[in-house]
Amino acid sequence: MDTIKAVFDYTLREHVRSRAWLSAALFGLVLLGAGAIASVLAVNERGRMVLDLGLAAILAIGLVSMVFLTVRLVLQEIESRAVFLILTHPVRRWHYLLGRFFGTLAAVAIGMAGMGLVHWLLLEAFGWAPAGSYALAWVSILGQVALMGALALLLSLALTSEAAAMAFSVFFWVLGHFTPELRYIAERSGSGPLRGLILAFARAAPDFSRLDYAGARHAGTPAAWAAWAVLYVLAYGTACLALSAELFEQKEF
Amino acid sequence: MPAARALAVFALSAVVAVAVDGPLGRLSRRFPPLTELPATPFCAQDAALVELGFRAAAADLAWVQMLEYMGNGLPQLPDAPGHPYAHIAVLASRIVSLDPSFHRAYLYGASVLGWFPQVARPEQAVALLQEGLRRDPGQRLYLLYIAALAYKKEGDVPKMIALLDSTLKDPGTPTLMKEILANLYKSQGRYAKALEIWRDILDDPAAASDHPRARLQIEEIRALEAAGRGS
Repeated sequence: MDTIKAVFDYTLREHVRSRAWLSAALFGLVLLGAGAIASVLAVNERGRMVLDLGLAAILAIGLVSMVFLTVRLVLQEIESRAVFLILTHPVRRWHYLLGRFFGTLAAVAIGMAGMGLVHWLLLEAFGWAPAGSYALAWVSILGQVALMGALALLLSLALTSEAAAMAFSVFFWVLGHFTPELRYIAERSGSGPLRGLILAFARAAPDFSRLDYAGARHAGTPAAWAAWAVLYVLAYGTACLALSAELFEQKEF
Repeated sequence: MPAARALAVFALSAVVAVAVDGPLGRLSRRFPPLTELPATPFCAQDAALVELGFRAAAADLAWVQMLEYMGNGLPQLPDAPGHPYAHIAVLASRIVSLDPSFHRAYLYGASVLGWFPQVARPEQAVALLQEGLRRDPGQRLYLLYIAALAYKKEGDVPKMIALLDSTLKDPGTPTLMKEILANLYKSQGRYAKALEIWRDILDDPAAASDHPRARLQIEEIRALEAAGRGS
C-alpha cells in the first residue's frame, strides 16, 4: 500500500503542476460562464439550461482530461524510459499502475470539484439550485469519468499506440451511450442468435446511459439507483484494472 | 500480481458487473430510443449529442430552437405563406423525445397548438399532452389543459377560462399560456383580470423577453378601459 500511495502522490503532484491540467480547469470555468450567458435564450428554463450546460461542461472537460492523461500515463513513461528508473525500486508493477491511475483520477476529480463548486455557487446565486441532488449528479459524472479512464488505460496497454487507444476510447464512450439502441435493435431482431449476439455486445460495453444521473435528474431517479450505479462502476472498473495489471505484467521492457 | 490472481479478479468483477446490470437497468430512467425522434433537419445534431452523453443539453438546445422558431422562425424549417407555426408540433415532440420529463415543452407546445387562432390544431395539442401523461406522469397541468381544450371544443369558454385561470399560480405554467389567458380576458372585456396577468408577467424576471409586450398591452388595456368609461 505504501508504494501505491507513493506513486499516487507523485502522479497527483505531477498532474496538478502541469499546465495542461490548469488550462483544462480554466477552460471549464469559461464554459460554465458561456453556459450562463447562453441560458438567456431559454427564457423560462434558464435555470435548467445553466444546470445542464454546466454539468455537460464538467463531464466534457473531465472526460477529455481523463482519457488524454490516462492513455499517455504509462506509454509516455515507457517511451521516455522513466518507467525503468521507477521499476528498479522495490515497486511491484501493479502497484505502480494503480498508483498512476488513481493519482490521475484524483487530479481530474480535483479539477472537476473546482468546476462543480463554481457551478453550484452560480446556481445558488441566481436561485436556480436544482430540485434533485447536485452532489449525486456530480458523483455520477465522476463515476463515468473513472470508468472511462480505467477502460482507456486498458486500451493503451493493449494497443500500445496513443492514437489507437484514444480512437477506441471514443468508440467505447459512444457505444456506451448507444446501448439502449442496441437493445432496441435486439428486441426487434427476428433471429435468436443475432439477438443474443447484439445483447452480449451491449452488455460487454460499459453502459454509460444507465449511469447518466445528470440526464435522468429531471425525472427524479430513485435513490437506490445510486447504490447499484456505484457497484457497477466499481465492478467494471476493477475488471479493466485487473486486465491492465495483467497486460502490464506481461510487458517486456 | 500473479496472472492467475489478476484473471480471477477480472472474472469476478465481470460477473458482478453483469449481475448489477439488471437491477441498474430497472432503476435507471428509460429514454425513448433515437428511432422515435421525429424527422427534423436537426436529427444529426440530436443523435450526436445523445450519443456523446449530453442528452439533457440536447433537449435544452432543442427548446431554444423551438423558441427561436416561435420568435423569428428557423431557416431550416420555413413555414408556407398563410400557415404560421406549422412545425410547432414536431419541434415540441422532438424536445420530449430527447427528455420526456421536459414539462414545459408539452405545455408550451400544447398552448400554441390549442389556443393560437392562426394554428388551431387542438387535436394535436391533446395528443401532445396525452404523450406527457404517458411519459411524464404526475404533472397535473397536462390533465387540466386537456380538460380546458375539451371545454373549448364544446364552446364553453367561461369554464375553459376558469380552468386555465386556476393554473396561473402554478410555477410550471408557461408565460405564453398566461399571455393567451390575458388576451382571452381582454377579448371578453374583463380588463381588470387581463391587467392583473400582464402585471404579473412584468414582475417576473424569468419572463424578461415578454416585458416589452406586457408594457404595450397594459397601455392598450388602460386605453380601452378609459374609452369604456368615457362612452
